Amino acid sequence: MSPVCMNTAYGRRWRVMTSKGFLKFSEDSYTLQLSESEREVLINLSGQLIEILAERVDVANSDPLAAMVGITGHDSPPDDEVLLRLLPNAYADPVDASEFRRYTESDLRAKKSQHAMAVRSQLMELGNGSLLLDSESSLAWLGALNDIRLALGVRLKVDANSNERLELLSPDDPMHAVFAVYLWLGWLQESLVLALMEDFDADSEGAQ
Amino acid sequence: MAQAEGKIEDLTDPVFYLDRPWVTIVWDDPVNLMSYVTYVFMTLFSYSKERATELMLLVHNEGRAVVSSGRREEMERDVARLHEYGLWATLARDDK
Repeated sequence: MSPVCMNTAYGRRWRVMTSKGFLKFSEDSYTLQLSESEREVLINLSGQLIEILAERVDVANSDPLAAMVGITGHDSPPDDEVLLRLLPNAYADPVDASEFRRYTESDLRAKKSQHAMAVRSQLMELGNGSLLLDSESSLAWLGALNDIRLALGVRLKVDANSNERLELLSPDDPMHAVFAVYLWLGWLQESLVLALMEDFDADSEGAQ
Repeated sequence: MAQAEGKIEDLTDPVFYLDRPWVTIVWDDPVNLMSYVTYVFMTLFSYSKERATELMLLVHNEGRAVVSSGRREEMERDVARLHEYGLWATLARDDK
């Protein structure tokens, strides 16, 4: 797993890119103030996520009943590494994994796509104001931010020891900017997790 | 004929085999944030922050951890929800 890397020298340089991240507004609601360029980056990335997921179309299914109960017909894992990370195998055993995928992948794909679409449409509607998230939209944001990071992580070949390699990329390397965005998204996601945790802590104290 | 005392054969008995519980395993990955994984464990399994943090660290340090156990259908549901949150999870028959 990854701690937030914004407190490295490299991360700090990119921190100026952003506002304060997500802040708790009132109980179960959160705000986010974005600059225009940040908003554009997020619209662009959520759009790409929607496209990647849409590449994995359902296999034409002649049985409408099967389609209705979510049997996609896909029983082999995606070839694309990003899609495979977003739609992973549930079993080590390939036969069990295929069976599970056939019944569940379509649903998983739809949920991820819905999260990204919710985020994207909220960003498109946003003028210069701040975003206001309720508990439902905050989960869509959490899911979509994580899926975007997973996708970028695959493209950047992030592993346990990759930070040094990525920090040393030449500024001319297109991956240099991608890595900066990846770090920024981690920081943004962390701010949302911490805001959500605050409500969690308050709820569990209230329950005692 | 089955005898009262447990024998090796009992372990291969199909009924015994089916009764063995299943487990949900979460695997370490380099992208998911530690805070996020803790939050997901708290949300999905209603674990306390302490328990969720303990499991997160187990995944982080050991490469994997069992996060829930029960009937196969229940574990399939847990894995599906973990995948929805982007965690890398699988289910397997408990090997203990």
